[in-house]
Amino acid sequence: MLLLQEAAVHATSAAAGQAGESFAAFAPWLILALPLLGFVLNGLLSITAARRALPALPPVGDPHWDAHHEPSEQEHHAHGDDAHPAAHADDHGAHGHDAHGHGPKPATHTLPSFIAPGVLIAAFAVAVVNFLRMLAAHPETAWVHEYWSWMPVNDPTGALRVGAAIQLDQLSMLMTLVITGVGSLIHVFSVGYMKEDPGYPRYMAYLNLFVFFMLTLVLGASYPLMFVGWEGVGLCSYLLIGFWFKERANADAGKKAFIVNRIGDFGFLIAMFLLFANLGTLNFAEVMERAPAQMAFGGAVVTAVCLFFFLGAAGKSAQIPLYVWLPDAMAGPTPVSALIHAATMVTAGVYLVARSATLFTMAPVASLVVALVGTATAIFAASIGLKQWDIKKILAYSTVSQLGFMFAAVGMGAYVAGVFHLMTHAFFKACLFLGSGAVIHAMHEALHHTHSDMDAQDVRNMGGLRRYLPVTFWTMGIATLAIAGVPPFAGFFSKDEITGAAWDGAHGQLPLAAGLAKVGIDGTLWFGLIWGALSIAAFMTAFYMGRMMIYTFFGQNRTGEEERKHLHEGSWTLTLPLVVLALASTFGGFLNVEREVPIVRWFDFGQGEALHRWLHPVLAGADQVAEANGIAGAAVEPSAVPIAVAILLGLGGLALAWTMLSRRALRTAAEEPAYANGVERVLYHKYYVDELYDRVVVRTVGWLSRLQAGFDRYVVDGLVDFGGKMSEWLGVALGRFQTGQVNTYAFAILIGVTLVLYAFVHT
Amino acid sequence: MIILFWFFAVLAVSSALLTVTRKNPVASAIWLIATFFCLAAIYTLLGAFFIGIIQILVYAGAIMILFIFVIMLLNLGNDYEPDIRGHVWKVVAGGTSLVIAALLARAFSGELPAPLGHVAGPASLAAQTADRGTVGVIAIPLYTDYMVPLQFTAVLLLAAVVGAVVLAKRKV
Amino acid sequence: MSFFAALGRPEVLDLARQTHYFWALLPEIVLTLGAMLVLIVDVIHKGDRSEPSRGSIPVLTLAVLAATALANTALFGLRDVSANGMVAVDGFRTFTNFVYLVAAALCIAISMGYLERRGIMKGEFHALVLFATLGMMLMGGSRDLIMTFIGLEVMSVPIYVLVGFDRMDPRSSEASLKYFLLGAFSSGFFLYGIALVFGAVGSTNLTYIAETLGTGTDHGHERLLMAGMALTLVGLGFKVAAIPFHMWTPDAYDGAPTPVTALMSTGVKAAAFAAFVRIFAVAFADAGAQWVPVVWWLAAVTMVGANLVALTQGSVKRMLAYSSIAHAGYLLVALLSGGDTGKAAFLFYILAYTVMTAGAFGIVIANSRDGEERVTLEDYAGLGLEKPWLGAAFSIFLLSLAGFPLTAGFLGKLYILRAAVEGGQAQLAVILVLASLVSYFYYLRVIVVMYMRPARSEGWHAGAGLPLAARTAVLAACVVVVAMFFAGAVPMRWAEQSALSLWRQPAPVAASPAPASLFR
Repeated sequence: MLLLQEAAVHATSAAAGQAGESFAAFAPWLILALPLLGFVLNGLLSITAARRALPALPPVGDPHWDAHHEPSEQEHHAHGDDAHPAAHADDHGAHGHDAHGHGPKPATHTLPSFIAPGVLIAAFAVAVVNFLRMLAAHPETAWVHEYWSWMPVNDPTGALRVGAAIQLDQLSMLMTLVITGVGSLIHVFSVGYMKEDPGYPRYMAYLNLFVFFMLTLVLGASYPLMFVGWEGVGLCSYLLIGFWFKERANADAGKKAFIVNRIGDFGFLIAMFLLFANLGTLNFAEVMERAPAQMAFGGAVVTAVCLFFFLGAAGKSAQIPLYVWLPDAMAGPTPVSALIHAATMVTAGVYLVARSATLFTMAPVASLVVALVGTATAIFAASIGLKQWDIKKILAYSTVSQLGFMFAAVGMGAYVAGVFHLMTHAFFKACLFLGSGAVIHAMHEALHHTHSDMDAQDVRNMGGLRRYLPVTFWTMGIATLAIAGVPPFAGFFSKDEITGAAWDGAHGQLPLAAGLAKVGIDGTLWFGLIWGALSIAAFMTAFYMGRMMIYTFFGQNRTGEEERKHLHEGSWTLTLPLVVLALASTFGGFLNVEREVPIVRWFDFGQGEALHRWLHPVLAGADQVAEANGIAGAAVEPSAVPIAVAILLGLGGLALAWTMLSRRALRTAAEEPAYANGVERVLYHKYYVDELYDRVVVRTVGWLSRLQAGFDRYVVDGLVDFGGKMSEWLGVALGRFQTGQVNTYAFAILIGVTLVLYAFVHT
Repeated sequence: MIILFWFFAVLAVSSALLTVTRKNPVASAIWLIATFFCLAAIYTLLGAFFIGIIQILVYAGAIMILFIFVIMLLNLGNDYEPDIRGHVWKVVAGGTSLVIAALLARAFSGELPAPLGHVAGPASLAAQTADRGTVGVIAIPLYTDYMVPLQFTAVLLLAAVVGAVVLAKRKV
Repeated sequence: MSFFAALGRPEVLDLARQTHYFWALLPEIVLTLGAMLVLIVDVIHKGDRSEPSRGSIPVLTLAVLAATALANTALFGLRDVSANGMVAVDGFRTFTNFVYLVAAALCIAISMGYLERRGIMKGEFHALVLFATLGMMLMGGSRDLIMTFIGLEVMSVPIYVLVGFDRMDPRSSEASLKYFLLGAFSSGFFLYGIALVFGAVGSTNLTYIAETLGTGTDHGHERLLMAGMALTLVGLGFKVAAIPFHMWTPDAYDGAPTPVTALMSTGVKAAAFAAFVRIFAVAFADAGAQWVPVVWWLAAVTMVGANLVALTQGSVKRMLAYSSIAHAGYLLVALLSGGDTGKAAFLFYILAYTVMTAGAFGIVIANSRDGEERVTLEDYAGLGLEKPWLGAAFSIFLLSLAGFPLTAGFLGKLYILRAAVEGGQAQLAVILVLASLVSYFYYLRVIVVMYMRPARSEGWHAGAGLPLAARTAVLAACVVVVAMFFAGAVPMRWAEQSALSLWRQPAPVAASPAPASLFR
């Protein structure tokens, strides 16, 4: 109702030509507060549920109590205690979604189904209200409101003022819409996917908490506040990856994500310190205002700040060399992979770069590094994706690759293209992940009936599923077309903008190219390289996505006779989000259609480059920097070449996959021989990067740790123990005087008198 | 006068030494009385006749007689045991005492304040004695300026009596 | 305070007029009369029968202390013209008087039940506690060395008796005798010191001494003064139990009935320190060059030595005895720091110390049984788990004694350290920190034992506990210890004002200083 009223108000105001009125945010704190409320409620429910699932609390101080045998909801799950309504032995361990709950569910397992998606949808509604108001007003400056002073530090050399402030501008608005919108859909999907899990309320609590932190990340008006969200989403990611923590591999994956992210956080912190040391502020608005004046263009300081920020971004957004955690993160529940490890959290790095566009424009070298690393990641991860069998691993490497595309874009200064791709990627990758979730859900259920121990996530064990899961097939198909860059699906437009930018750069028409020239680097060659690599990566993307689709949905079904009977589509909570996301993947690309570019311009229905116009106020600072330094890009001559190449590559990749695989009789995982070819093996084993890291980093650190532990134990502890022993000896020695004899005591006093008298009389 | 002072001074100190070194408590008590007498003589030499008399009456007369009574009634002194054992202790203790004595002597060795403080001295004492008599010199300040300490000395005695009763009485 | 003004209290006292002493000594007078009242009421109750005193005696005693506290408020805002009387009329005295009263009240409160169990429930106990408190007030509030000495004796004589109050317990009697002998010994030194100071300066009045030393003239008798200061220091060092004059402390504290131990380690120490401040930090302030290095060493040795010996103690009561010696060292640091900050830190710490130490001894009492003192570390094993309230309270007191954050002890130490650094005693501050680091070990050891060791036997702690009044007192102490951390500014401001009043120069001396001297 509220939405409709708002829409009506804005429709009339727009009709009356009153556009341009000042923007007044509508309770933006609600957007943050609602998920937090959901977290609190679900958290309480999960505590209640966990308490009920537990046996009687152990007696306090009982020495026989074994801490390693701590009971938990999962313990119960595994042991199949009948006292628990949702308890049903799940022999398949980690992926404990089980549709065979018996009896009525307790309130702790029904309420989260309403609370968790409910708060998200409400937050989305508030976001939409704000969006409509912003659309009507289109403010040129960001709306910032400080709710309370968080870190006021008074210091003669410079005061630190960090408030708990919300910044609402076009960029954070867009991110908020994506997070709450896609988040709502994934929450709905989670209801269908997770509701049989004994840890369901805990799961929903974590998910709500994640959304809260993610919104804090994008809505915070300063780097420290962003960092709060940054750390918070890291925490939630860790908690959700290790959600089924009874399985050691899952817990390890969680830890891996957490630890790898620490490296990135180190970069983020250093960048903040540098920024504060040089500018004396950490609020976005002030930083962007002071930076051009107080830091030299292309100077060492701003370059270092940007590189450190990028280190942080690389950790969070899984770029080379810190990408290794993301494929392992697929150990978490699939909706988590969709929400956190595809649609939102991993794009935080892109958001960070886009938010700091002014800084990155001032640091051409750092920008080029960002673009090159992004490109390398894109092609590197795509090549690994070619040879994976696990459906979620394929999508994970695809995500890494697509994130590489985004970084290539923001690195080249095509911030809008990066954000655009971020948005479309959120749509189609969420759709793909949820679709894979639906597939796994169906597979799992089918395999469960026969107690088969086939891997439910291995695409070789699937096949022909389009007949059993039609909705999933069609929605995933659309998303595949989108990611492959087939017009007119969303991915086509966003990916084309990125390759187009690289093409322009190769012709020296990007501001960054001019900026690089200014610091003495010929960027055109680099941009040509980027364009070529991204094109190959796009081709690979199309190929592995086609391969995945063919293995999963085409050909003969390979699940087995008995299992086949149990393959069926899930409930509406599983399919509805897929449909909505497929629609978004279909039409999302029309938000930004470049009028000048051939072919693309066919899809201009009057909206034109809407996203460009929308984000213009946010990027105005970067544009001003470019203009002030005389590097504003030359007039771009649109060329048909990149766009044609992009379409050809996308279609070609899919076609190649089809021709290679559709004729062949596909085999199940058990029958398929291991990769014999050297290249294939290297790709399947992800270039052995994990092994390399294990040898070089983990073992070195482990060795150093042991060395340090030895030092600590024998030298430091030894010194401390020695100090303790010495004190004790001294104490005993002094205590010897305490004989209990008055004579001794009196004599001690006499000695004291002598000393004191001597000290006084002889001065 | 000077000769008499030194005579009584040396006598007082040696009596005091004998007091602490005698093994028999009665002998110690007798030597203590001797010390008090010598002190009274010195007070008298200083012109403080009243204090001298009081010294003899109260300390030598009353308190010490009580002491000797108690000692004799309880028949102490027969089961004497040396409480400082060994020569080393004696030497060390004696040495320490000597050092303290030497340090105190050093304190007196400098130029002593000729008139005590700014407004006191034998002249002032003589003037006041002439004015108020030997008793008045003590009594008037005692009941004017030192009224408060005097009163609380009474409280002290009360507390001491209560304490003595608590500790000594068999059934309270 | 208009209440007292309405009763005829003058705004400014002139202690040259004897009648004004009535107002200056109002709390002392109330306390003296109250102590006698307690004696008389007890006698009326008992007649010539030999039986335990009635339960109303401690209540009456607490009422007397409350009345004294009320009378003490009459001193608020009071001044005297020339500061040459027998007693000081300043905020410092008011503050410290409250400290003694709190110590005495806590002592009486935690003695409830304990005395009955040990079979020493006698009205004389309470009367003697009141007399000792009177002595503390006289000693800490005096402005004349004679008065200080009389206060010292009024305080000490009842304490000697109280230590040996349990005549059936040979340890109690032995402790009493030791304390008495050594106390008399040290009193001798103190008195001789007073005589020498009088000989050097010509007066026992502290204000007069301060002025004489301040003028810097007539210092031919410097050495006499020095010897006097040295011996005074010995006497005070004995009473505050600074090393090497501390030897009596563990034995006396250990043997004395525990409420008396609490009073000795709080009130007695506070009074001795107040006198210490008045004599050394005020009267001898201008001779600081001579006494500061000596007291510096005294403080350093006390802090280090006491903490080291405390490490090796197996008895909680003895450990607390050594801990109180160590705290004497910390308070000496505050005294050495000089200036108003040092005095304020001293006042704050003495208040915090009094509350937390008395509370800790309250727990020791709670853990004792009929005639049986359970004071070894093993006796406390499992207390925290079986008696969670006792364990928690004891933990709070011990942490506060150690100087752990969230307690008054932490804030107190912090103030002392700040004062020390500001006062140029940074080295002492370092020693203080290191020494309290050592102290963490033995305080925390008790907590560890309480929570992590099983009790000696099933039901070992069954009888541990306190009667209601004592429980209330310990709980109140607990609350104060925590509250003084969170609202530390309030007592600190009061302490600062009190310290300022101590330093108030007496009204300019136009006429003769008129010392209360024999040779007028």
